[in-house]
Amino acid sequence: MFRTLNLAAAASVITLICATASGASAQELKVVASFSVIADFAKNVGGDRVAITTLVGPNGDAHVYEPKPADAAALAAADVVLTNGLQLEGFLPRLIEASGTKAPIIELTKGGEVLKNAEEEHHHHHEGEAGEAHEHKAADHDEAEEGHGHHHHGEYDPHAWQSVHNAEVYVKNIADAFCAADAAGCDTYKANAEAYGKKLEALDKEVRDAIAEIPEEKRTIITSHDAFGYFQHEYGLRFLAPEGISTESEASAADVAALVKQVKEDKASAIFVENVTNPRLIEQIASETGLKVGGELYSDALSDESGPASTYIDMVRHNVETIKTDILGS
Amino acid sequence: MKLKSTAATALALILALPGAAAQAEDVTAWRLFVADRDAPKVTVIDALKSETIDMFQLESPAVLYPSDSGRLIFARQADAGVVTTLASGIAFEDHGDHGDIEVEAPKLTGTKIAGQKPSHFVEHGGEFATFFDGEGVARIISEKAALEGKSDTREVKTDSPQHGVAVAYDDHVLLSEPNKEQPDELPVGIRTVDEDGKQVGDIADCPDLHGEGSSGNVLALACATGLLVVTHGEGAPQIRHLPYPDDLPEGKATTLVGGRGLQYFLGNYGSDKVVLIDPAAETDAFRLVELATRRVHFAVDPIRARFAYVFTEDGKLHQLDVIKGEITKSISLTDPYSMDGHWNDPRPRIAVAGDKIVLTDPLQGKLHLVDAASFTEAGDIAVEGKPFNIVAVGGSGQSHDEASASEHNHAHSHGNDQIYKGYFEDGQVKDRPLSDWAGDWQSVYPYLTDGTLDPVMAHKAEDGKKSAAEYKAYYEVGYKTNVERITIEGDTVTFFREGKPLKARYASDGHEILTYEKGNRGVRFIFKKVDGDADAPDYFQFSDHKIAPEKADHYHLYWGDDRAALLKEVTNWPTYYPSSLSAKDVAQEMMAH
Repeated sequence: MFRTLNLAAAASVITLICATASGASAQELKVVASFSVIADFAKNVGGDRVAITTLVGPNGDAHVYEPKPADAAALAAADVVLTNGLQLEGFLPRLIEASGTKAPIIELTKGGEVLKNAEEEHHHHHEGEAGEAHEHKAADHDEAEEGHGHHHHGEYDPHAWQSVHNAEVYVKNIADAFCAADAAGCDTYKANAEAYGKKLEALDKEVRDAIAEIPEEKRTIITSHDAFGYFQHEYGLRFLAPEGISTESEASAADVAALVKQVKEDKASAIFVENVTNPRLIEQIASETGLKVGGELYSDALSDESGPASTYIDMVRHNVETIKTDILGS
Repeated sequence: MKLKSTAATALALILALPGAAAQAEDVTAWRLFVADRDAPKVTVIDALKSETIDMFQLESPAVLYPSDSGRLIFARQADAGVVTTLASGIAFEDHGDHGDIEVEAPKLTGTKIAGQKPSHFVEHGGEFATFFDGEGVARIISEKAALEGKSDTREVKTDSPQHGVAVAYDDHVLLSEPNKEQPDELPVGIRTVDEDGKQVGDIADCPDLHGEGSSGNVLALACATGLLVVTHGEGAPQIRHLPYPDDLPEGKATTLVGGRGLQYFLGNYGSDKVVLIDPAAETDAFRLVELATRRVHFAVDPIRARFAYVFTEDGKLHQLDVIKGEITKSISLTDPYSMDGHWNDPRPRIAVAGDKIVLTDPLQGKLHLVDAASFTEAGDIAVEGKPFNIVAVGGSGQSHDEASASEHNHAHSHGNDQIYKGYFEDGQVKDRPLSDWAGDWQSVYPYLTDGTLDPVMAHKAEDGKKSAAEYKAYYEVGYKTNVERITIEGDTVTFFREGKPLKARYASDGHEILTYEKGNRGVRFIFKKVDGDADAPDYFQFSDHKIAPEKADHYHLYWGDDRAALLKEVTNWPTYYPSSLSAKDVAQEMMAH
């Protein structure tokens, strides 16, 4: 019917209407987490002191999520809003505006090691590393904008949680945000974050040990969308994917053909589907390359409670085990 | 008013000078299309200037439907048994980080879909299905066909005449299932059929089916028992029944409007209520909002996702906060419009145009404007007759006023010189539709051989790298071809080889990025033959210094039957300019470049 195409560059917090009353008890800090992985971190840091509403739930896909009035209501009532940032949650700026929330919007990837999206990385590899990422962005975009840079999904890979080191940054940022919103609980948040941080350190070592058991020449695998760039960067497995960084961009026939060719040349060892994407594409590539689909990896969302990846730690363990078992078994 | 002239576009990139500044300006345009209650006419009004732009005669009084893209307005004329289309004259092109707007005069496209008793009209994914109650038949047309003024529809039949509905849902069609025992009653369910018209799965029960709406990727149909919620499923659309809860008072929705920006549906419920529906919610999926008097019309705000508007018979417009589920503001605008009498009596209708809410006032012959932010009156616009049904189309975008830009400094705001020269990033490259090259094209090779281009060669020789004769020899190899003309229309490409036409249909086969010896790069956009003359090439590849969707002004073309071999061809690049250009024009273009 119409479109407003002057997109705001940044998510601004506009205060329109006071937060409405909510069912949560007065002592609880009302936290909105944009998706399931962040909700799990928040639960580990906040414990009983926080009531968490998750916008994009288990097995949901944040890239293409369409927010509901209830989400806006949750945002309006929130004390803290936890987001990934790096344009993972494309729906969020609009939702924040509609909700009129006054809550601080925390981008958990701030201060983490941020990677350029794979398509651009080789053009930009002399540029600064993370941390300054946000400052660089505006300048980097200028040129591309003039020349039709179709940067729908940003130039940074948003899937930072796939590196356990980054998960530790998320957790620290959550503890800081909770402390700022609820000073009385700060010691608890810090203690929880530290305890959980130790578990993450152990998890990181577990991943490294597991990958070490996979022979180097067998460390190339296929997934459906580019969700494992950080895992690749951190742990040395090589991931190829027919879809881009966002599940929103569908693979063209040429992309798929190129991938099939690459799989054959690079001798990929295994191929996996993800819980948030359509398995058909992967099945097609599997049949064209003679690889057997090895199982389901959890990339952008946790599983529900009955699934194998209902927490972040379980998700990482499940992914590594699935990859390792399949490669070594092949 | 036409801000973008295609002829000027053709000149602009070729004339681009290194370092020329971009000439984009932000343009906002909103148009109101207002149908008269009694007269067969549509008045088009510039909502920002409050001026009438044009008036179009129809065959009978119309109900209007805008397309999602805003490019088309469909006028359903029930008495005349026809649906015709107007081009809104406002078009957007999404470039991800910014959008372009093109504004030109509105016009009737010429499309005409005829049949008995056209009733429900539904868009889904750029396809429009009109249901003809008198025949029990749906006729479906694409946005592209309607924009081109074509009347080609595909027809899907149901078992009998009914007050029905059809939705073209990707590869399937959803069709209302008539009430066989009582043919005068509303339909009883939804049947899904595939492309061949074959039923897929069971009929989804939906007693008293009436009313449908879309919000994001969810389609909803209203039944006496609740909603049918349609989403993409494996293979076929997935249909789920969302029942009205027991604690809801007696009633049902028979009209649904889908939220924009937030995913929800707004429906009527009883005569003095509306219902907010969140089909994904586990609790409180239905929230009733009570009104003080009976309801006349309602609409969602597509810009301020938080709000919808309801007009009631006491002459008041209400702002509905869809997050809180309550009326937050009200304003008196018209004399009372009683709901007693026929449902189709002239009563106000609501549309949202940018920062204004517009309400028709048929008995007073005017439109009331309300400032959406402050919810206060912001003037009115007189419209002759009984302004009744209304839709608004518009938005903001960047306009590249290429006509003036090329006159003054030959700058082109679109073509990036770096890209033109072959320096860009892979991420900037996007597949392009064949329509980027639509038109009638002439080879420049004859102009090279007949000497028309000699001054161009002399001009090029001024750089001292090659003599004019050497340049001519270089282009002799580059331009050489026996295909003197190419026409591209829709997916059909005709090659005229020594006077003989070779015609075939082509489909996009992606793109390839090539790196040349100099280190710069180019993108080949590849198309593959689907069917047509055997002698037409199996593949052809465009190269036109552009890397993402944008109209071509000239191009180099490579064709043959081996996709991979063509990619290696870098010395012979037959070159085409619009056939409308004279030999002298072509030479001038090349000189200026």
